[in-house]
Amino acid sequence: MTDGATLEGWTPEIGKGVPLEEVIDKAFDYRGNVTVVKTDGSETVGYLFNRDRDAAVPFVQMFDLDGTGPISIQYAEIRTIRFTGRDTAAGNSYAAWLRAKEAAKFARQTEKGPEPTSSRDA
Amino acid sequence: MSVPLSQMWAIASYVIRQKLAGRKRYPLVLMLEPLFRCNLACAGCGKIQYPAQILRKQLTVEQCLAAVDECDPPVVSIPGGEPLMYPHIGPLVKALVARRKYVYLCTNAILLKEKLEAGLFEPSKYFSFSVHLDGLRAEHDEAVCRDGVYVDAVAGIKEALRRGFRVTTNSTLFDGADALRMREFFDTMMDLGVEGMMISPGYSYSKAPDQEHFLRTQRAHDLFSTLLSNPKRRWKFNQSPLFLQFLMGKQDFECTPWGNPTYNVFGWQRPCYLLQEGYAATFKELLETTRWENYGRSSGNEKCRDCMVHCGYEPSAVHHTFSSWRGFRDTVQATVTGRF
Repeated sequence: MTDGATLEGWTPEIGKGVPLEEVIDKAFDYRGNVTVVKTDGSETVGYLFNRDRDAAVPFVQMFDLDGTGPISIQYAEIRTIRFTGRDTAAGNSYAAWLRAKEAAKFARQTEKGPEPTSSRDA
Repeated sequence: MSVPLSQMWAIASYVIRQKLAGRKRYPLVLMLEPLFRCNLACAGCGKIQYPAQILRKQLTVEQCLAAVDECDPPVVSIPGGEPLMYPHIGPLVKALVARRKYVYLCTNAILLKEKLEAGLFEPSKYFSFSVHLDGLRAEHDEAVCRDGVYVDAVAGIKEALRRGFRVTTNSTLFDGADALRMREFFDTMMDLGVEGMMISPGYSYSKAPDQEHFLRTQRAHDLFSTLLSNPKRRWKFNQSPLFLQFLMGKQDFECTPWGNPTYNVFGWQRPCYLLQEGYAATFKELLETTRWENYGRSSGNEKCRDCMVHCGYEPSAVHHTFSSWRGFRDTVQATVTGRF
């Protein structure tokens, strides 16, 4: 698995330590496209927006890269899921905004030059 | 009192009808999200982080109306995304007003002036713009991560008021909010002539860019107590006074997640507007198959522990008003005196 900050690029091997249900849950929570690899070897790429493991026949639902869907795939048909798309929640727009504000403040101060020394200190 | 009498009566009679019918779970406000696209990327928002093909998707007007007809609440709130970017927003609002639904169009107002000038909307007692403003200029522009948005929003508000529209504001408060500046903000909004204000603490979306400034319960109580303990008579709030008392720690409610159900391009969102635990194809399926006992503070669900957001607790406050004489008395008292 990746460092935990994002699952982008994760290609789990389903097995003892990594159950399929857990990978599906992570794919459901992931804000990027994934590649669902089916047991017959075929692949579906898109955004996995729903999963229901309590249904009589547990399934996931996806919209493909064109936005077509929902495409339903049963849990039993899934071999693994690869986290192939960009994690859209991983970017930090707030941190970028703070950096930009700091940079603007610094630029203003540089333009004005150093603060004048007060007469009391003179 | 800032909610018009006709709207109050519509909601009161609806709630009483539900109670007389013995319905345990009923919707008050449908949160209708026709799209996730937005022209801002606010620090505290977890609604817009999706791949491109999802951001391009939008509901049809027919899908929106089918959802409204199935759910049949007295109030429809249209958030998003930015609903003024939805190409069919004019016809959608018109159709909802024709159904006598009280509609709140939740907008950042960047496009408001332009859409008003294009003649997209008509004033109605059923229709209100709910403009997102998280404070005065500096605070709001910081919250939305862009300079100049406050000025645009205020220009949009003035234009809407000039044209005879109902205008309210909605403000989300985060840790570090300055109570004195917010009180100044309330004065400014009243000076502008808005009908009423809505306030709520932010929810800690796991996908939001800023994870450090969400309010925890005690800090929220402290902040809202400072903010509202000595309210000015001229301040009007477009929400239940009992919800405001709840924010101050004077009332204790359990969450009512089905009170503000959410419908968007994925379907009916489980269990609420804030948490995404899955989707149901119909409202009936949402009500019948969601494990409601797993949500709210008493469930022990960690995701619900610090949540005090209006979409879960405002319906609880309204429910409380009509569940006991004490609730009714508290609501009337706060409404008449303007004190919380």
